[in-house]
Amino acid sequence: MTWLVWRQHRNQTYLAAAALAAFAVLVLITGRQMASQYHSALTSCAASHTCGNLANTLILGTPVLSLLVTLTVVVPCLLGVFWGGPLVAREFETGTSQFAWMQSITRSRWLAVKVGWALLAAAAWGGAVSALVTWWSSPVNALNHQNFQPGQFDIQGIVPVGYALFAVALGIAAGTLLRRTLPALAVTIGVFTFLRLVIGQDLRSHYLTAVTTPFSFLHAPPSPKGSYWLVSGGVVGPAGQVANSHAHGGPGVSFGGVPVPIDNMPSACRVLVFQSPLKFGSCLAAHGYRGFITYQPASRYWAFQGIETGIFVLLAAALIAVTAIAVTRRDA
Amino acid sequence: MMASSNPAVIQTCGLSKRYRKVTALSEATLTVPQGRISALIGPNGAGKTTLLRLLAGLARPTGGEVAVLGGAPRQDPAFLAEIGFVAQEIPLYRRLSAEDHIGVGAHLNPRWDAASVRQRLKGLNIPLDQTVGTLSGGQRAQVALSLTLAKRPRLLLLDEPVAALDPLARRQFLAHLAEAVAGGGLTVVLSSHLLADLERVCDHLILLAASRVQLCGDIDTVLAEHQVLVGPRKDTTAIEKAHTLVQATHTARQSTLLIRVGGPVVDPAWEAADVGLEELVLGYMGQHAGPAFSHLTSVGEDQ
Repeated sequence: MTWLVWRQHRNQTYLAAAALAAFAVLVLITGRQMASQYHSALTSCAASHTCGNLANTLILGTPVLSLLVTLTVVVPCLLGVFWGGPLVAREFETGTSQFAWMQSITRSRWLAVKVGWALLAAAAWGGAVSALVTWWSSPVNALNHQNFQPGQFDIQGIVPVGYALFAVALGIAAGTLLRRTLPALAVTIGVFTFLRLVIGQDLRSHYLTAVTTPFSFLHAPPSPKGSYWLVSGGVVGPAGQVANSHAHGGPGVSFGGVPVPIDNMPSACRVLVFQSPLKFGSCLAAHGYRGFITYQPASRYWAFQGIETGIFVLLAAALIAVTAIAVTRRDA
Repeated sequence: MMASSNPAVIQTCGLSKRYRKVTALSEATLTVPQGRISALIGPNGAGKTTLLRLLAGLARPTGGEVAVLGGAPRQDPAFLAEIGFVAQEIPLYRRLSAEDHIGVGAHLNPRWDAASVRQRLKGLNIPLDQTVGTLSGGQRAQVALSLTLAKRPRLLLLDEPVAALDPLARRQFLAHLAEAVAGGGLTVVLSSHLLADLERVCDHLILLAASRVQLCGDIDTVLAEHQVLVGPRKDTTAIEKAHTLVQATHTARQSTLLIRVGGPVVDPAWEAADVGLEELVLGYMGQHAGPAFSHLTSVGEDQ
């Protein structure tokens, strides 16, 4: 059966290998340049004792390259569309499933071998792209501490492997249930994008209880160590009432990255907003207002990677189970 | 007596298949003994494909029993190794060559006669190394049939196998089939509209109409059970009492009756004659045909 799978998909595999190789060459060359640029900048700033300011002065990589690397976020979806969607649906459309099922092989074995190789390939390609992006980003991560931020978190580490497995499983399941390739592709893109957005925006910040740190408006908000993820921030009034711009929706102003809803602030302070942030902050502090930030510490990065990967791997497993039931129980 | 020397390869009892609203096959009870080449005949939509798919295990019955080679059709390598099935659409991997398909078969079957496929396709001048998608419909049909025979199945189920073949290829194919059956151990069920072809090779008949089995048995026996009566136009109640009236056609003065014989025909007004396969089949199909009757003329054209 493996022989048949390879014979059916070898051209596709060659093409995908070529695309991956081209990406790897680009990433390896520019990644080396970036790493040396970063290290020489470190050396020179250490000599002049200006390293604290390095993140503001040094720009690593070109915008085009950064965009390309950011765009690898669609790689799992592409794998789902090109490998997952047609895997079973094409066989139904052309009737070749009937040819295969009338050889001396059970449908479950037929499916297991096909799905097994597809998932293995998805993990390999998703993992390879992610490994390249993670390596390429290491100087940027060290400089800007952004790898826990949404967007960067999604293209580095092990989560892309989970996304790739899920996308391919989704494509396979949609193709099996709908029995046609094109609708399966549409469903794959739609469901994958929807789930990724919902999980990334609404669920991820709650994997572990976020840390909340209060601060006085007399100073700038605290900056936790390393690549932390700032989830939210806001203001606590003198009576303990919490005000953050998410809840109020009125005009807000950023105080060192923390949103302050100005409508809810004392009128005496409001007039100071556009004069001086420092005076605005002192006024708020004088009226008994304190700020807070809610964040996920950098130390939780790999725990979050693990949890999110686990969620998508479990979803993939459920989809494969549905596919197996449909293939073995339904009429050909 | 027949049963002990010729065990049934196919035996169904009340076999039914319903899709959501449509009944594709209703209460089919039939037997096909070993070694027969059985013609599965019926108008379009009569349930021929459904019956073949149920026998192959590609579809599950919604009612009744089906035994193929002694057991229910199932997803089991040992069972599947004994069954050959070619679907009407002749599904093959369009981007693979015939030689690739031979490789597929070799990897997926315990018994595999690759040499026979190569020999047969070479004899038919069908290129082995060209992708199947570039072959003609008839050539693809030959490839699919050869591949199915290479499994050395004990039961061969063919859904309109000769539809895509030209008359010469059709005759060659049917001769090849008859040869394979003569070799022993093989039973064939093939559906087709081409009665003349079927008559040449088949010795068994399953007639479906309106999703029900109308007739099932050895062709000689079935023919002997029927007669055509020609006589003056008159009331047929007496005939219907003693015999089963299959079809009656009337002109102004004369009536022609196709009957399943229930005893001797005593009324001297009727002139009895033996019935041919085509006449018999058209008689049964005409019972249920209505407006769809028109497609039967194509059967005649192929004579």
